[in-house]
Amino acid sequence: MKMTWSQGTHPTGRLSSGGHWIHHPYLLLVFRLFLAAVFIYAAAQKIGKPLAFADEIHSYSVVDYGPPLYCMAVVLPWLELICGLLLATGVFIRGSALILLGLNAMFLAVIAKRTTDYVNGGTPFMKVYFDCGCGFGATFAWRKLFEDAVYLLVSAVLLFAPLHRFTLSFKRRSS
Amino acid sequence: MKNVKDAILQALAILAVAIVVGFVFNAFSRNGINPFKRPARVPAASGTIEMRLGAIRAITLEEARRMVEGGARVIDARRKADFDEGHIPGAILFDYYDMGTYGDRVLPLLADDDEIMIYCSETSCDDSELLANELFSRGFKKLFVFRGGFAEWSGAGLPVEKGDQ
Repeated sequence: MKMTWSQGTHPTGRLSSGGHWIHHPYLLLVFRLFLAAVFIYAAAQKIGKPLAFADEIHSYSVVDYGPPLYCMAVVLPWLELICGLLLATGVFIRGSALILLGLNAMFLAVIAKRTTDYVNGGTPFMKVYFDCGCGFGATFAWRKLFEDAVYLLVSAVLLFAPLHRFTLSFKRRSS
Repeated sequence: MKNVKDAILQALAILAVAIVVGFVFNAFSRNGINPFKRPARVPAASGTIEMRLGAIRAITLEEARRMVEGGARVIDARRKADFDEGHIPGAILFDYYDMGTYGDRVLPLLADDDEIMIYCSETSCDDSELLANELFSRGFKKLFVFRGGFAEWSGAGLPVEKGDQ
């Protein structure tokens, strides 16, 4: 088995993946590298700090202190890093995109819940500002919700794209 | 359909690798934890909490009392409702999870070389440490975390103020 950089030629011989413009090969490459950069950076801020990350997860009042929370704090940053690296290199793109789709849906839900709590407490929506524990520091909630929605959409596009080009593919020697 | 099956199989493989790598790294990491029991927290009055916070000092109840009497800045990192029920005299409310509101309100009141004591509810809460970390990153260098928090202070019968600031 040898590893090669594949241009992802379509079985028909065309370089283009065809179909919707959003599945243009260069656009998919940009999406992949964008999502990879975001999650590699986010993971790098959390790896090696499981206790602090556990506190941040706990602040959402969704998971109480205990083995499930600590296991999440140990594994989640590595999951983000591995998905980021795989997206960047073009290996297991659909699997990585599926995981990031799930993670972003979860992040959106918990950030929306906390934002709602603040809004119910009297803070105007546009002024809700906190550190979501995502690795990017404190920011306005509306901005974080928008960013996570973008990551969610990009993950979905990568997951359902018919063909990816510029991937590190594995080929068996025919001899 | 094949793509969906591929995606699920790949995701499971990635998850398995992340679990293995995460736990192996955690086992050898200086800051690693045992996820299957509650990790030991830094006890009150342990002297320094360099492992997590760099130059920030943890202080005892007695040290906290002396700092309050000496006029140090005191910051309460709890929620407003807890603060209103009772707080250390002279404390300023700074809910760590509402950085937008309290950052603008409190940071202008503090000078870089002020001695700042931070506390939250009790030993098991971490908001005081998290806030100390945040203030440290914003250039405040004389930070003291009273890990016993309001529970230890009020339990010792020391003066308590009630109400809004």
